[in-house]
Parts: sequence; C-alpha cells; structure tokens
Amino acid sequence: MMGYKLRKMWTDWVLYLMLLPAAVFFTLFHILPIYGMKLAFYDYRIIGEHVYVGMKYFNSLFSTPVFATVLTNTLVISAMKLILIFPIPILFALMLNEFHNGRFRKAIQVVSYLPHFLSWVVIAGVWFEFLSPSTGAINELLKLFGLPAHDFLTDKSAIRWVLVASEAWRGIGWDSILFFAAILGISPSLYEAAYSDGANRWQIVTRIVLPHLYVPMVTIFILNVGFIMNAGLDQVLNFTNVSVNSHIDIIDTYVYRVGLVNGEYSFATAANLFKSIIGVVLVLSTHFISKKLTSKGAW
Amino acid sequence: MVGRKMTVSKFMIGLVLSVITLTMFVPIVNLFARALSDPGKVHLMKGYDLLPKGFSFIHFEVVLSNAIVGKALLNSLFITIVGTCLSIFFTTISAYVLTRKNLVGKTPLMICLIIFMILEPGIVPEYMVMKDLQLLDSLWSMVLYRTINVFYLIIMMRFMEDIPDSLIEAAKIDGAGHMKIFVRIVLPLSKIPLLTIGMFYAVARWNEFFKSSIFLSSRDNTVLQVLLRQFVVDNDTTALVSAASLLSNNSVAQLDFSALKAATIVVAMVPILLLYPIILKYYTSGVMEGGVKE
Repeated sequence: MMGYKLRKMWTDWVLYLMLLPAAVFFTLFHILPIYGMKLAFYDYRIIGEHVYVGMKYFNSLFSTPVFATVLTNTLVISAMKLILIFPIPILFALMLNEFHNGRFRKAIQVVSYLPHFLSWVVIAGVWFEFLSPSTGAINELLKLFGLPAHDFLTDKSAIRWVLVASEAWRGIGWDSILFFAAILGISPSLYEAAYSDGANRWQIVTRIVLPHLYVPMVTIFILNVGFIMNAGLDQVLNFTNVSVNSHIDIIDTYVYRVGLVNGEYSFATAANLFKSIIGVVLVLSTHFISKKLTSKGAW
Repeated sequence: MVGRKMTVSKFMIGLVLSVITLTMFVPIVNLFARALSDPGKVHLMKGYDLLPKGFSFIHFEVVLSNAIVGKALLNSLFITIVGTCLSIFFTTISAYVLTRKNLVGKTPLMICLIIFMILEPGIVPEYMVMKDLQLLDSLWSMVLYRTINVFYLIIMMRFMEDIPDSLIEAAKIDGAGHMKIFVRIVLPLSKIPLLTIGMFYAVARWNEFFKSSIFLSSRDNTVLQVLLRQFVVDNDTTALVSAASLLSNNSVAQLDFSALKAATIVVAMVPILLLYPIILKYYTSGVMEGGVKE
C-alpha cells in the first residue's frame, strides 16, 4: 500500500511541482505567521533569542481592564449586527419578489448590490456627508421635523448604531441575493396550487415563500455566530474618532494599537491568540451544527 | 376590492425599496456632481443634488496632477493588476492539482487549507514575517500577501470538480501531460469562474486598506485607499492643499476642498464601477444558479 502511494507520487511529480507555488505562498503567509503566534509565550528581543515566559502575557491580558472593555465592545457590536441586520436582507428579498422581471427590480438590484464593492474608506466618505450636522441629509430631515441637528459620529451613544446602520446599508442588497435565489427556486406549481385554493398574496408569502427560506436563514445565522469575534476592523478604523473610540474599540483595533503602534508585540500577540482560538472553536462548532441542521456548512 | 388593496401594498413596498436604494444612489451620484462642479459654485451644492453646479474638470486635474495622489494611484493599479494576475494563475493551477482523483495526500492538504481559512494569526506575526522577508514598505508585500485566497481556491475547486473526467482521460490517452491538460483543456473550460474569482481578487486588492497601511509605510509606496483615509477621515488635506495653492498662483479660482475630496473618492470608485457590469454578469448569475441548484 505504502509502496503504491510512493510510486503514484513519483509518477505524479508534475502535479506536486504545480503545487509548489501554493506551498510557498501558504508557508510564507499562513504557516509562518501561525508559527509566529508562539510569541505570545515569549518576551520579544530585537537581538538574540526570545525568552520563554509561559503565561505571563495572558495573565496581564486578563488583568488589564481595557482588554475587558474591548472584548465587551467586540461582542456587543457583533451581537447588535448579528441580530438587527439578520432579517433585513430577507425582507429585502421578499419585497423585491413582489416585482416581477420589471426594469424597476433590475434597477433596484443594480444599485443596491454596489455598496458591497466599495471600500470602508469610500463608505465612510459617503456616510460622513450623509450624517454631517450642517449639510447632511439625515440632519436636514431632522430639521424638517423641527428637531435639532445632531452629530451622530461624535456621540458615544449613537456611534454603535451608526456602525450597525452602515453595515446594513452596505450588505442589504448583496446579502439578499442568496434569499432571492432561494425564492426564485420555488416551483411555480406551488403558487398555482395556492392561488387555485384561493390564497392571497400574504398567505403565499407566509405559507410558501418563508418556509423555503428556513434553510438559508438557519445556515446564515449560525455561520454568522461563528464570526462574532470579528466586529469589523476596517469599518471601525474608518468611523472612529477621539470622542467615541472607547465605545467602538474592538479586539482587532486594540491588537493593532498595542502591537504595532506601541510595539508591545508579545502582549498584542497574546490578545490576538485569545481571539483566534475562540474564533476557531466558534467557526468549527457552528460549521458542524449547521451541517447537522441543514446539511450546509461554512465550506 | 382585493385587487385595489394589493396595488396599495405593492405601491408601499415599491416606495420602501426606492427609498433604500436612493440612500445609495443619491450620495454616490452627488459625489460625482460635486467633483464635476464649477469651483466657484461648489458651495451651492446640497447633499441631494444629482447634477453639478456649473461644470469643470478642474478638481480632477488638481487631484490627478498631484504627485502624491498620482503615485498612490499608480501603486494601487500596480498591486491590483499584477496581484490579481498572479492570484488567478496560482489559484487555478492549485485548484487543478487538488481536484485530481487519487492525489496522494489530498486529505491532509485539505485539512491544512481549512486550518488556514479559519485560523487568523493576526497582524503582529504577519508583520514580523514581512519584516523577515524584507518586504516591508515594498509594493511586493501587498502583491504577494495571500496571493492564494483559500476561500476562492475552494470555490475554484468546486467548479473544476464539475469538469467531465472523460475529457481529461481522453487527453491523457493522447499522451498529454498534466501541464498540457491544464493549459489546453481545463483553463479554456474555466473562463467564467476564472473571471468571477478574478473580479473578486481585483476588488479585494483595490479596496485593501488595513494591511496596506501597515506594510507600506512611506509616502512613495502608499496606496489610494490609505491616502484617501487621510483626506476623508483625518481631514488631513495637506497633500491637496499644496497642489491647490500651486494652481491658485496660476490665478485659478479658490478650490473647494469638499470637491477635491469628492474627486479623490470618485477616483477610488471608478475602477470598481468599470468592473461592476462584469461582476454583475458573472458573479451574480453564478450565485443565482448556485442558489437555485441548492
């Protein structure tokens, strides 16, 4: 058996040669950094060997109040996004389905998918205009109703909602594609049967369309839980400012600041390792739960 | 009676959809209008105006003739074009190998890929690796960084599994080697997924902000997204100011910075808009078909 495998590898040498570039890339940008995570257990030395210090950095991590804050922020922002944004693309797909093959539907699709492809820097540019206290559309609207203008971007109690809203804005169209495709996949004979039984549009949506969305709904919700440790690094980096940073400082921004700005490499690596391990456990478990429930996993 | 009620609810649904979509359409078109406005009339622009006040290319001229913006634009284009070509080639060739039947070592290789996909080592170890490779502050750091994206590799593999084995077996009988089969048979059959993942690589590379801001530290090697953040988020327009004052010496009217900012955002958006029709054509239809197949 072993001999057969070796012989097969020998005759297939071209295949392994073709895989060589991939091996190099994965070694450089995945294996070496993963190996480098061991820095969390070492004292960083610029010259000479790093010194093994065991759990020192994890102990100081868990006794740092700021870390508790950024962990809470990460979980709160993720949970808000997870729960509040989840139904929006589904509703969007259901609403879109009320319009059949018209130019209207096409136009809505073309425009609403676009923000998904814009960088957070560009989105921040658009939203800063949008929320500007002097000229922004939202504040114009507030003034219309006789309410005072408000600077949401520097308001601690509003900024997380801005993150949720801009995330929803960015994803509403794109994330609806999967649900919309599931709706389009429903057999027309089901509709015909329902109509001939005298069902109205509302009954058709609740009794026929929604049940067909359960599988993608469950899959997507569960899989999103797996990514709860990622609260949106690029987004926070572009929406943050001095007045609100304490409310939206997440693990990723903390690791960046402590590690690369302050140069506390080992401490930052420990914080990141903590996040990565929880992330792996969550992604793996949600993957298997989703596989079990809907036969669809993360990959 | 029922019919009329339906029309009202359909109208309401159409209204909600329109309002949502307008929150995307209006601000983006407004940026274009602002950037194209006459410098003397920009201050008249409202957030919801869709047409420029007056008309002038001056803001684009200032932005594009600015040495720093121009350099950043070229750097972004270089990373996106070279990086995407490398990504497409190496992702496809690796996907071909990994979808060969009876490939010895396939299972351990797939397990490694899944580990790479879900275990994020974080920025500090990646920074250390870039430093050891002496790639810090070199455009090649961003060209080579994660040339093969595991997720896209798996998508490509899914597609290649659908290529009929008989085609490849027939070529083998004719004496074609793996390299020949890959170039002559598999690549021509993979045009659509190749374009699809190509678009995604290109968009991701063009939009990459965080890693670029860390791996590329000097002004000469900065990219458009990082520079744009300075203008938009930090309101640091020193780079633009110097260019503007140069022009005002040539007796050009005082320039409005909101219009210069808008012009820079437009420059960052244009490549995406150029790719967008292709993305819609290939990717959206791909997702739709995939979704229906499910």
